[in-house]
Amino acid sequence: MTASSTLAPPAADELRDLLHRHHRDLPDTDPGRVLALVESGRTARADAAELTELAISAAAGLIAEEPAYAKLAARLLAARLADETAGQGILRFSDSVAAAYAEGLLDPDFAGFVATHADALDGLVDHAADDAFEYFGLRTVADRYLLRQPTTRAVLERPQHFWLRVATGLSDTVAEAGALYRLMSRLAYLPSSPTLFNAGARHQQLSSCFLVDSPRDELDSIYERYTQIARLSKFAGGIGVSWSRVRSRGSLIRGTNGRSNGIVPWLRTLDASVAAVNQGGRRKGAACVYLDTWHADIEEFLELKDNTGDEARRTHNLNLANWVPDEFMRRVEADAQWSLFDPKEVPELVDLWGDEFDAAYRAAEAAGKAVRTVPARTLYGRMMRTLAQTGNGWMTFKDAANRTCNQVGNGGGVVHHSNLCTEILEVTSDDETAVCTLGSINLAAHLTRNVDGVPDGVDFATLGSTVRLAVGALDRAIDRNWFPTEEAATAHRRWRPLGLGVMGLADVFAALRLPFDSPEALALSTRIAEEIALAGYDASADLAAAKGAHPAYPLTRAAGGVLHPDHWPDARPARPDAWAAVREKIARHGLRNSLLVAIAPTATIASIAGCAECVEPLVSNLFKRETLSGEFLQVNRHLVADLKRLGRWDAATREAIKRADGSVRDLDLPAELTALHRTAWELPQRALIDLAAARAPYVDQSQSLNLFQANPTIGRLSSMYAYAWRAGLKTTYYLRSRPATRITQTTVRRGPLLTPPVEEGPPINNLIALGASDAADAVACSLENPEICEACQ
Amino acid sequence: MTTLLDPGMDLTLRPMRYPEFYERFRAAIRNTWTVEEVDLASDVPDLAKLSPGERHLVHRLVAFFATGDSIVANNLVLNLYQHVNAPEARLYLSRQLFEEAVHVQFYLTLLDTYLPDHEERAKAFAAVEHIPSIRDKAEFCFRWIDSIGSLDRLETRADRRAFLLNLICFAACVEGLFFYGAFAYVYWLRSRGLLPGLATGTNWVFRDESMHMEFAFSVVDTVRAEEPSLFDAELAAQVRTMLDEAVAAELAFARDLCGDGLPGMNTADMRRYLEYVADARLARLGLPPAYGSANPFPFMELQDVQELTNFFERRVSAYQVAVEGTVALDEAF
Repeated sequence: MTASSTLAPPAADELRDLLHRHHRDLPDTDPGRVLALVESGRTARADAAELTELAISAAAGLIAEEPAYAKLAARLLAARLADETAGQGILRFSDSVAAAYAEGLLDPDFAGFVATHADALDGLVDHAADDAFEYFGLRTVADRYLLRQPTTRAVLERPQHFWLRVATGLSDTVAEAGALYRLMSRLAYLPSSPTLFNAGARHQQLSSCFLVDSPRDELDSIYERYTQIARLSKFAGGIGVSWSRVRSRGSLIRGTNGRSNGIVPWLRTLDASVAAVNQGGRRKGAACVYLDTWHADIEEFLELKDNTGDEARRTHNLNLANWVPDEFMRRVEADAQWSLFDPKEVPELVDLWGDEFDAAYRAAEAAGKAVRTVPARTLYGRMMRTLAQTGNGWMTFKDAANRTCNQVGNGGGVVHHSNLCTEILEVTSDDETAVCTLGSINLAAHLTRNVDGVPDGVDFATLGSTVRLAVGALDRAIDRNWFPTEEAATAHRRWRPLGLGVMGLADVFAALRLPFDSPEALALSTRIAEEIALAGYDASADLAAAKGAHPAYPLTRAAGGVLHPDHWPDARPARPDAWAAVREKIARHGLRNSLLVAIAPTATIASIAGCAECVEPLVSNLFKRETLSGEFLQVNRHLVADLKRLGRWDAATREAIKRADGSVRDLDLPAELTALHRTAWELPQRALIDLAAARAPYVDQSQSLNLFQANPTIGRLSSMYAYAWRAGLKTTYYLRSRPATRITQTTVRRGPLLTPPVEEGPPINNLIALGASDAADAVACSLENPEICEACQ
Repeated sequence: MTTLLDPGMDLTLRPMRYPEFYERFRAAIRNTWTVEEVDLASDVPDLAKLSPGERHLVHRLVAFFATGDSIVANNLVLNLYQHVNAPEARLYLSRQLFEEAVHVQFYLTLLDTYLPDHEERAKAFAAVEHIPSIRDKAEFCFRWIDSIGSLDRLETRADRRAFLLNLICFAACVEGLFFYGAFAYVYWLRSRGLLPGLATGTNWVFRDESMHMEFAFSVVDTVRAEEPSLFDAELAAQVRTMLDEAVAAELAFARDLCGDGLPGMNTADMRRYLEYVADARLARLGLPPAYGSANPFPFMELQDVQELTNFFERRVSAYQVAVEGTVALDEAF
């Protein structure tokens, strides 16, 4: 009896026919296997809808064995979405917009524009472009991004309608919409999630990042910040906020003649407020608190996320970052003392950087204003411990940030902190909340191919035109943006900063056979960054010519002729002539945008595009993606292609990869493949820092740079972060480490273990050996940045 | 030379006879987690979305969890700690006892959250007496707890074999099969995006249980190396029978949970899964497989690999608690 014959017709027949149709151009899929899984998982009363859902998840479950099932599952899902919309009479793009507008989901002007240009816009839609999606990407779009009828939850648009809605929402003309739509539908450029959620919607809050200045050292200001942060969080923004102006523990409160409890109780309130804003919403609020390293509450600050100790002094919902001055790092190097201050006594320190900060800091020390003094290395060691234990307490460098920021010109502006993902560096003040709208270019979609279709380089010409389209769309977003607070609106219109980033760098390296730590990879990555900056500046200068420079342009360094790469005198641009031309254009017209490039984490949009996250190596060759509809296994498709060529893609190989926790080290592959497919845990971290430092001249904001240490020690971390500082990085992001113990793998066979493990080397290594043989696990790399994923992409 | 099961109260840590046990103790400490870190808030709206069949499954599961870890903790105190005569092993067992207590607290918190009605809560704890499928599993455990309850000292070969059977029962059948069965239901729900809080806590429980099981097997390995003659055909046959009984009990539980089947989860698949897991336990003990089933649940593969992205809050438990070393500026990294 075959599996399909026991399914109840006619739904089963239809499903079987459908699977066989797809099998024709996806020959590596096996309709029989999918049908057998459907048969075994179905209930007796299964209807067509249940069978389709089971077939989709059956195909999704086979992706780890054969990546072709990702296409099959995506097609089954796309067909289901087409049925669901057609069932409501939604066939064309304009139907979908009309239906969503009737449900009150869209902006009237937007709906009017679409109605006026219905035929032209409808003609742009190309449903065949659905085939660009892998399953995970389409599932994410279907679950979270497609507009739904508010009560029945039926989808009101197909994936291509969604792309065109976003493109149209960011455009003034049909031509602009068409160009942007084509870019997005081939997954070559994607705006960040808030833009994808809200373009064309009633509240067009399109921005990802908000940077709120530290509250002033007074009660009313602190409570005003809670309100501001709550409003910003409500509309899906991620918050970076400093707390450095608020007095430290023990400081005298003149009004009551009492003593302050310091910043921790205030941050507890912020923690509760951030958590409360989530409730009932689409996601949790997310905030990162920055503290200057000289603040006298720094040690308690570093313990805020510990999972032991007094819960009354813990903030589990907040992220933490250190805003570190060079003077501190110099004293760490010199093994000198470090003085901690109460900002009430030295309010000037918060607004100073560079030489002026150093002088004021030393003067305060000389004046005996320090609350206490500690060995700089002791405090640095505590920072490293927090990183190792929580992944949090990100190291961001105040002087590098200010020394190179275009907004820090002659207007007295100061960068006081970064954002939730450490890629945005913009000036803030009491009445200016910095804002950034993000989008990322999928580098994997910008490869050139030789006559055999094998990738042989980066398509710089197309990359340049993608940058121009992206800059145009990001700039238009500023004018359409709806701002939750006045402070945000004020700042954004003055500075018009953009955050154009990238994703899929690891795919480019894999396609071109370049290990992450090769000199060729470094050169290519730097060249890509240069091209993006060059095209970005050029596009922004053109926009300035057409629409005027941004209002605060005279205050910027660019107005004085200094562009971001000039802060790296050692950098050797590949295209000096093009830079000269851009400089001339900027001198003539100014810039429409004070900042252009920021490399954000891209977690969610990279999964929609089916590429590797931002500039990061893969954490594993076999990994899990989570969506609201569940979890899916994915395999590094470049590795699968290599293994198939070698005839090694089989169950034994898959198990060996799983057993080695996603590494290919035990496969006995040719050395160049083993080197090419090393995971983030296996790469020398120095290479990641060097890549970031080399592209830094062309990234005028910053980069969300994660670093990886499977088994961190204070010694290794302190060396690593000191190196990052010396390399001139402005910011770093999470420290990723792995749990000390693992779940025993259920689906990996191991032989009888009659001999007890041999002890060799220091105990800590022995332990890893145990863990590895006992099996790797699921929790290994619990990326802790879910909310960020959404806000910051 | 003394062996691990020689009666007594060895207090000597230097020189250390079984450094591996000590390393397991240290590794466990580095992975401390607390119940407060698990966010159960998003589970409550999910519960309302479940079909009646799924809700029945979740309630039964919670009822099993309510008492499961307490039973393990009791056996640990009453039987294991007394007889494993090495201070480093007892360090690990002390740590395990703490972890079992955290699990009990987690499932208590879960139950309080999932079952707002006080009578329902009381019923969940009484399930061990009233719900046949849960009672049978508990009785299986009690039988093996009682089997060595009267042994004060492991003097004879028969005593030691009785002890080994108890140890293997709790490692291979209770933690290694009953709990693995329960985890499969949780991961099935999670694979459909449901009950993320339950999944997070269970993930951490699962991680701990994996280590407990590995510790127990490593005790078995040690005893086998020290007293190979204890491991004969008779012991192998007894283990086989014990696993058969455990699979049968867990299958009855599956029948109760799944009824006529739910989309993606049914008794037939569960049977294959349990047999697959049971074979893995036999293999770990150096015994031939008894069932030859393949794993039917693709979602169980998901827990064997790294996560890339998630939308649920993950907390510090993915990280290490104790970090060593001092500041240096020139170490390799």
